[in-house]
Amino acid sequence: MTPKLGAYAGLAAVALFAALATRRPELVVVAAPFALVAALGLLLARRPSIDAEVELGVERTIEGDEVDVRLTLVADVGAERVEALLQLPRQLVVLGGDNPLQLRLADGERRELRYRLQCARWGAFRVGHVYLRTHDWFGFFQRELVVDRRVPLKVYPSEENVRNLLQPLETQVFAGNHVARQKGEGIEFADLRPFVPGDRIRHVNWRASARRGELWINEHHAERNADVVILLDSFAEARRGDRSTLDPALRAAGTLAARYLRQKDRVGFVTFGGILNWLLPTTGAVQLYRIVDAMLDTQIVLSYAWRDVVTVPRRTLPPQALVLALTPLLDDRSESALLDLRGRGFDLVVIEISPLSLLPRPTGDAGDLADRLLRLRREAVRGRFERAGIPVAVWGDETSLAAALEEVSAYRRRARAASV
Amino acid sequence: MAAGLVAYSDVASDRLPAVVGGVGTAGGALMAFALATRWRTVFPFGIALVGASYAVFVAVRNGAVDGRAPAVAAALFAAAELGYWSLERSPSRSEGAVVLRRVAGLVGAAAVTALLGSLVLLLATGASGGVGLEAAGVAAAVISVAVIARLASRASV
Repeated sequence: MTPKLGAYAGLAAVALFAALATRRPELVVVAAPFALVAALGLLLARRPSIDAEVELGVERTIEGDEVDVRLTLVADVGAERVEALLQLPRQLVVLGGDNPLQLRLADGERRELRYRLQCARWGAFRVGHVYLRTHDWFGFFQRELVVDRRVPLKVYPSEENVRNLLQPLETQVFAGNHVARQKGEGIEFADLRPFVPGDRIRHVNWRASARRGELWINEHHAERNADVVILLDSFAEARRGDRSTLDPALRAAGTLAARYLRQKDRVGFVTFGGILNWLLPTTGAVQLYRIVDAMLDTQIVLSYAWRDVVTVPRRTLPPQALVLALTPLLDDRSESALLDLRGRGFDLVVIEISPLSLLPRPTGDAGDLADRLLRLRREAVRGRFERAGIPVAVWGDETSLAAALEEVSAYRRRARAASV
Repeated sequence: MAAGLVAYSDVASDRLPAVVGGVGTAGGALMAFALATRWRTVFPFGIALVGASYAVFVAVRNGAVDGRAPAVAAALFAAAELGYWSLERSPSRSEGAVVLRRVAGLVGAAAVTALLGSLVLLLATGASGGVGLEAAGVAAAVISVAVIARLASRASV
């Protein structure tokens, strides 16, 4: 019941008694509409019965894409005015359709409201909390209903544009797209050697054989797959408003996982932080979905517990795997764990998600000093990694992931040339 | 609308125009204040004061019944309805049909008010008066208020 009913009843009562006191019929006329409307409103009052259904156009989509949502309202007992609000997480932005909307629902009527949402940020959402507020004809009664018809919507991070992937130093035994150092069946030419019984005729190098007067055989590099483990540092993040270092890290993880899986590599995923999560390396499209679903659950959980790589199950980090660590380099524990991994002989690459653009602009001498100290500290961490033979690529607002990966590739080429 | 009503009462008043104007102006100001600050509790008091200015006008009036009372009642009711409509704190966009029905309902209610008011005035001026009619009037007023109170207590849905 709204205060309007009390106000109208009060106005009618005061006017009626004033009419009696002053013996003026005009005041009865003034009181009449308020009294009649109040009485009619009370007589016609009833409890609306409205149900809602929510249907999504898709259950899975990519960050930045649009999704159609259909909200169906079914009224057994309708109402003169119904305000319908589909509660949405702030990551889903309404592009089309009015939310909330005030409409009329007659008895037995069924109405469909359509919305077009833009998925502004990745995440696993549940859409379908519907708030309904009904009003009667006269605005005397207002009722609120909450209908929970939530359905899951998974928004995957968008992919970064990456042209060339990092080549692992070591390959595994299964067929893949990497040219292995070992010789075997493949396309890439490796060497020439004299013919031995059992060699296939199609491997004979006829030019070399003609020059040397005996049969010589082409040898090839085998084409193998590799194990790649994407290690996401979730100890800490830098956040400013809607932007966080976790978002680009997850986009990079998704992109790299998809690209490596496409070239038949086994890909594993480890979230290393307050909560430890892992997926054993394996191949195939299903693994990509597993990784992306695991990514959607990733969050930064504050923890003071010390963690090192011993806590990661052994099978998650197979020997000779390429470990791609995505880290904002904000926590000493992740730094220590990465150095430990390198010490255990893993082919480790660190992609630093730079948090500097998320930091507030330094003000005053103390601010400048703090900023310089932070940058120096980060430089020192990078130096420690490089001394341990870990390539570090910085990925920030100024550079693309592709450029960061190229930087690592160049580092690894130079390092190899130097070691020869 | 309320301002027009106050202006009519003040201009048409032959006795105590300052009181009529003062009460009406206070009512109008209170309504405006309630609308500006979205203070729903204050709004009916503004309506009541505007109505009171008309009540003072008719109470001190010499002579016959005010023939414009149905129009005044319709205007006061429409002002109250429009005021409450303004005070609704809804961020929702209303469908065109909803707004149309609401406006039509308001216009219809104002028209019915004017018609019923004319009928009441016609009956009142035709009646000869007396103790019986006075008692019936008191009883009608009491019953009206009691019925509204009873319905309100029943409609606690």
